[in-house]
Amino acid sequence: MTGRFRAANQVAIVGYAQSAIERHADQTLGALAVETARQAIADAGLRVSDIDGFAGATLLPTAGGHRVEDGVSIVSPNWLAQHLGADPSYVAGFTGVGQIPGSVALAVNAVASGAADHVVLHRALHNPRAGYHDNSMRAAAGAQQWTAPQGYFGPLAMIALPYNEYLQRYGAGRDEMAAVVVEARKNGARLPWSFWHDRPLTPEDYLAAPMLYDPVCRFDCDIPVDGVAAFVFTTAARARDLPHRPVYVAGYGMSGRVPPRLPLHWPLDDILAGGLETARRLWVHAGIGPADVDLPQVYDGFSPFVWWWLEVLGFCPVGEGHRFVADGGIDSDRPGALPALSGGGALGNGRMHGVPQMLECYLQLSRRAGARQRNATVGVACHSSPHFGGAVAYSAVPV
Amino acid sequence: MTTRPLPEPDEQTAPFWEAAADHVLTLARCARCGQFSLPPDVVCPHCGTTDPAFAFTPVSGRGMVRSWTVVRQAFLPGFDDDLPFVLVDVELTEQPGLRLIGRLLDGADAPLEPGDAVRLAFEDVAPGVAVPAFELTSP
Repeated sequence: MTGRFRAANQVAIVGYAQSAIERHADQTLGALAVETARQAIADAGLRVSDIDGFAGATLLPTAGGHRVEDGVSIVSPNWLAQHLGADPSYVAGFTGVGQIPGSVALAVNAVASGAADHVVLHRALHNPRAGYHDNSMRAAAGAQQWTAPQGYFGPLAMIALPYNEYLQRYGAGRDEMAAVVVEARKNGARLPWSFWHDRPLTPEDYLAAPMLYDPVCRFDCDIPVDGVAAFVFTTAARARDLPHRPVYVAGYGMSGRVPPRLPLHWPLDDILAGGLETARRLWVHAGIGPADVDLPQVYDGFSPFVWWWLEVLGFCPVGEGHRFVADGGIDSDRPGALPALSGGGALGNGRMHGVPQMLECYLQLSRRAGARQRNATVGVACHSSPHFGGAVAYSAVPV
Repeated sequence: MTTRPLPEPDEQTAPFWEAAADHVLTLARCARCGQFSLPPDVVCPHCGTTDPAFAFTPVSGRGMVRSWTVVRQAFLPGFDDDLPFVLVDVELTEQPGLRLIGRLLDGADAPLEPGDAVRLAFEDVAPGVAVPAFELTSP
């Protein structure tokens, strides 16, 4: 990847659907996925027989050793295609990290190349009944022998180390992090589909929460949920004949090489250096820069990611994200601010793993956001850590 | 006897755990380029050889705290009686960027600053099994 995306603006999102986001759905995850995909296809003005491509990712993001069963705890693109009764010519599962941008790249590349005409991209997230990260491991084999015997295990420890490293290095504090989480929950409370609908959070409640892995409390972590989202992609030319205003894909950037590390060890320098490279790739690929973006949607599965994405994308200098947010820099109600969590993010919706960021870009840029409609033209949807994930640039008009 | 997860040595890592049982920290050193790898992998990340013939070489066990967290809820068995405890992310002196994570045995309230000096300690968790940990070096 050395230059601009040759297929920039040639592929568009033309429809979507999302299930309710609940702690535990009444239905099996597979049934929820089939219903959501059918709704998305109908929303795009299409029939199942029009869909010849499927893309998605299946990671069940728990350290808890829960059983992975297609149609039950995950839903693969193959499973969905078969149970929809579709007859696809292209099915692709993304197995890297940054599941949403990675899947979008598969879908866009398939449409742009002609491997498929209409692609359904879906993501189905499941919350197992037993403790999400609880693991009864008695023997630590393979890579985990280097960390689990010491008690270093799971994503809370993973994020606590670079989060604390950042607090120490840049003189940041949890009082500033309160502004991140309160902003996400404020916006999430406005979404009827969100698990946190009508439930904003106060800074006092945030700061009163007990520590789990200092400096991480439970409000710094998105809550595990059952939920499914699906989006339909096709060519910009075909999109002209479909009911909704298309949202174009300008380009995407995926993270690259990271230093070899212990399992789940993400030193702050890796996150920032790797993230700057991810952002550089995004801007080159999409042919835009941060000044062109009026709807950045940063990833927030853990709250510190918000600071780091804002910094690596160039919306504020490295080390300044904590002040930028605390000073109202991402307040969705403040004119002139960057509404970087206007879609509620993962903290304001539930653990939908990059879906809230993508959905907000789609809803706002297709002008389907209803009472929340903003005047936005270029969005960026981020997912995962800046050094271990990716981002997609969307636009309301070809850029 | 602990219910903590015990390391399961494999063909490659057996020498590490044998030395650890004697409270000696060894690290995998590539026979081609001499660089340390933690954890050792199939390919040496420094020189790219697919035959790194790693030799576990004793090292000083000294390092510097880069970050830490206080663990107040354990997701693994066997740690509940130790809560809360501190995990430190340590850059070892042997090679820039070489980092090892372990428990800090100075207690959950030990004052910590980035850059604090630590040295290896070992926790004997089962007969013949010791796990690397750290303790603050007195100034």
